Amino acid sequence: MLTVESIDKSYGHFRAVSDVSFELAKGQVVGLLGPNGAGKTTSIRMMTGFFPPDRGSIRVNGHDTVEASAQARHSLGYLPENAPLYPEMSVDGLLRFRARLYGLSRGQASSAIAHAADRCALRDVLHRRIGQLSKGYRQRVGLAAAILHNPPVLVLDEPANGLDPTQITQMRSLIAELAIDRTVLVSSHILAEVERTCSRVLIMIRGRLRADGDPKVLTSRHVKAATATVVEVSHVSDASVLARVLGALPGVASVQPLTTLGRTTGARILGTSASDPAPGLIAASIASAGLELVAINPERPTLESVFLDLLESEAA
Amino acid sequence: MPNLRPLRSSLFRVTATVAARELSSSFRLPLGWIAIALFVLLAGATFVIDTLRPGEPASMRAYFSFAGWLLLPIVPAVSMRLIAEELRSGTIEPLMTSPASDFAIVLGKFVGTLVFLLLLIAPSLVHAFVLRAHSDPAPDVGPLITGYLALALTASLYLALGLLMSSFTSNQTLAFMLTFFAIMGLLIVPALIEPRLPQGPAWDWARAATGTLSIGRKAADFSRGVIDLSHLTLYLSATTGLLVLAAVSLESRRWR
Repeated sequence: MLTVESIDKSYGHFRAVSDVSFELAKGQVVGLLGPNGAGKTTSIRMMTGFFPPDRGSIRVNGHDTVEASAQARHSLGYLPENAPLYPEMSVDGLLRFRARLYGLSRGQASSAIAHAADRCALRDVLHRRIGQLSKGYRQRVGLAAAILHNPPVLVLDEPANGLDPTQITQMRSLIAELAIDRTVLVSSHILAEVERTCSRVLIMIRGRLRADGDPKVLTSRHVKAATATVVEVSHVSDASVLARVLGALPGVASVQPLTTLGRTTGARILGTSASDPAPGLIAASIASAGLELVAINPERPTLESVFLDLLESEAA
Repeated sequence: MPNLRPLRSSLFRVTATVAARELSSSFRLPLGWIAIALFVLLAGATFVIDTLRPGEPASMRAYFSFAGWLLLPIVPAVSMRLIAEELRSGTIEPLMTSPASDFAIVLGKFVGTLVFLLLLIAPSLVHAFVLRAHSDPAPDVGPLITGYLALALTASLYLALGLLMSSFTSNQTLAFMLTFFAIMGLLIVPALIEPRLPQGPAWDWARAATGTLSIGRKAADFSRGVIDLSHLTLYLSATTGLLVLAAVSLESRRWR
């Protein structure tokens, strides 16, 4: 659906993107991650045909973005960062304008607008001026404009930017829904967001693609530090009791007491190897010491740890 | 969900779509109405001072000769946002990643705004009717028509210039100033140079050149009721040339 072959892009002497390649299949939701200035937006702008790559090529639905630019642009829907829209237009007017730009007839435009407005929950604001809408609505108007011509590939640059938690949840389910019969590329710097939405992540750092794969696989492969488990108890009079009890368990390397407002409320256990001490064993030993267990939370490796790891190795 | 139509992003359809949006936006923004009010005021004042005088022949020649100056503050104010505002707000990105070609975008903006300028000039037609109603003998219709034609041609030339300037920057104020000074240069420079040229046939080419560049001279010719084909060609080719340059300037943003 979307094929990127060793693309480069420089601004003057600054190399924004270098030698990035990947291929996205139909039905995938792929997250494009990276710190600010990593070249995410530059890569996206090349995919959408805003400007051509200095070197390499991009094909959208089989059409080259330079050689068959019009066809490639027809196959792609794009929500730019911050959803730039004309504030003086009505939502309906803007969607009609976009539909006509993409060659839909008046009748087709009406049904496409009705469909997109339903999907993006815009029915109530179709006749409002865009300048009067909240950020969440504007983001959805931008998304509706991107899907009007029913493109097989969708590229969303920071779609969750500036949304509140409820809106982020709505945006997430909308993206998942749209991905059923499409390829969706979502750029973001909110790692937890990408981890939940995407079946595959691409991590860019300083213009290069540094990781590509299933977020679960990436996290298990990349994390070098020992795993940890946090144990919370209701009340401990003597912190050393907890340390002694937990320290005696098999697979425990060290125990750090955790305190809240000067009182010991639990401990963080670092495992010796990749295998954590079993929760059952922890619970039993806590109970045998006469303490009351509140919670056991294994600290799972997240994309964040992969990300920080990559950044660290880049700096080294 | 509608299917993708075969690629019919023809120049005509995109131009018409962009033009319609541009025209309706001009009327939605306060600036459009301010420009209309300003032009009606300036045109009315010029008419009263220059034309509507007892004992004068019934003609609007003085009025049309001044038309180049009338449009000087109006057109840059209308044209400054055309591309600059899209560059600033980022709306240029969805526009330039749609199947619309850069030239169709520029042409659409030009056509939509030219229609707006013609609608802005239209109320001043009332001056011609006032003159007909109050003068005896009545003024000739021919020079009135060609005078308004000159006004429309001048407006389109200025607009093409403004569109080019607007494509250079994301700052509307800068686009306004650039256009304003470019038009002022066009109006003043030939008038300044011509009387100072040395006598003699050796300088004929320079006299011809300044004559060609002089908008006031052309407007005066038109308002005598003469449609000089060379004037017409010059206006139209200069406008077209500036539009092509504006499209190239927009496209060059893709290669930076």
